[in-house]
Amino acid sequence: MPTELTAHERPMVELRRVSMSFGRHRVLNDVSLTVSRGEMVAIIGPSGSGKTTLLRCINFLEEYDGGEVLVDGETVGFRLEAGRRIRRTEREIAATRSNIGIVFQSYNLFPHMTVLRNITAAPIRVKGVSPEEAEARARALLSRIGLLEKADELPVKLSGGQQQRVAIARALAMQPKVMLFDEVTSALDPELVGEVLAVMKSLADDGMTMVVVTHEMQFAREIANRIVFMDEGAIVEEGDPKRLFSAPTTERLRAFLKRYRESYLLS
Amino acid sequence: MLPDVLIANFGYLLRGAVVTVGLAAATIVPSAVIGMLLALAKVFGGITVRAIVDVYLYVIRGVPLLVLLFFMYYALPYSGIDVPPLFGGVLVMSLYFGAFMAEIFRAAILSLPRAQWDAARSLGMRRRLMFRIVIYPQVFRLAAPPFVNTCILLVKSTSLVSIISLWELTLAGREVAERTFAPLQIFGGVAIIYFVLCYALSRYGLYLEERMRFAH
Repeated sequence: MPTELTAHERPMVELRRVSMSFGRHRVLNDVSLTVSRGEMVAIIGPSGSGKTTLLRCINFLEEYDGGEVLVDGETVGFRLEAGRRIRRTEREIAATRSNIGIVFQSYNLFPHMTVLRNITAAPIRVKGVSPEEAEARARALLSRIGLLEKADELPVKLSGGQQQRVAIARALAMQPKVMLFDEVTSALDPELVGEVLAVMKSLADDGMTMVVVTHEMQFAREIANRIVFMDEGAIVEEGDPKRLFSAPTTERLRAFLKRYRESYLLS
Repeated sequence: MLPDVLIANFGYLLRGAVVTVGLAAATIVPSAVIGMLLALAKVFGGITVRAIVDVYLYVIRGVPLLVLLFFMYYALPYSGIDVPPLFGGVLVMSLYFGAFMAEIFRAAILSLPRAQWDAARSLGMRRRLMFRIVIYPQVFRLAAPPFVNTCILLVKSTSLVSIISLWELTLAGREVAERTFAPLQIFGGVAIIYFVLCYALSRYGLYLEERMRFAH
């Protein structure tokens, strides 16, 4: 444990040689990655490269087989005791997750709850926030994303872009240390992508630590502090966005960007 | 417009109908509980638990309700176990319909998108809370239409317990028919009462379906 680091210097997210297999297929192959406080890291790469799995290991929605994941200095899902991996209790895992926000490709709002209740349920029931305060916080978040007037609607009445913004608000209401975004614009109609990216940009501007799996290259290039390119379960190349896009050093990234540009021109 | 013999005995039949409704209600609650427990065991249980539940479901579904009632009423006393008919009748019907409810709840649980579980977990919800506020409310909504459908079958099946001498609508009808020699009119009346009960239930089912419709 890097206890000699002060809380401020300690990385927010740290993956150490994380590996994971689905059956015989190795999805993550000794992946190491460090995300600093306030940093916005974008993960790009072809489908099936392990980006989403990597993201889901950070809040232990995927139980990685080997290596270590740390969030704010605490190991996620497992703790090491005399060199052996011991699975944390359900209570500990839930507590860890309550500090990590995640937004999914398919929004995943709770369809039987109003927008407001979607946002207040977990703060009240998990964090013990008073209902009044949770509601005040939720309304503040809703007004920030421009959806205050939808507070009492069911999610089904909202457009995809609106649902996704509510999903972001729901995650933010837990006051997470880090926000994970899993291809959050991929299911949206093109004209709705912008409103969601705008919310994400404002979050990044506020200094939220963010790990963003995305196909939006333009967005990644403009907003991210660092780009990570993954292929076949490994990080192939990472670095400054402008450098990485203009002068990729690996053949695989060059090929990926070329394919991306071609499909972009065609569409 | 109703035959006089039916009108004269209608009150008696209605009292039978009240017992029928009571029997059905007393059966629906435990069979729903049994169904949910079996469904959870089938979805989340280990291989042994699942195998045991499977055997139970196959046996129950493969044996007629009437045979199960006879087993309780005639066979068990033979082996020294004496079950009061009312308790036994409700118990056997609960076990029987519990097996069908299990399939309904299992299908509902499985049809909830995986993503809903992910969303609940990622917000730090523990199992109990997740089931209470995210999973069950949606499962009940998804299961409501087939559940009501099974309840209709259940109401009609209560007529079988008349054969093990439990007094309810069908047995009341038999008594009256034998006394008055007017089976056509009396059983016609009995049929109408069953029909009204079940029709009300199915309208209620449609209403639920309408009200709870929402997309994922």
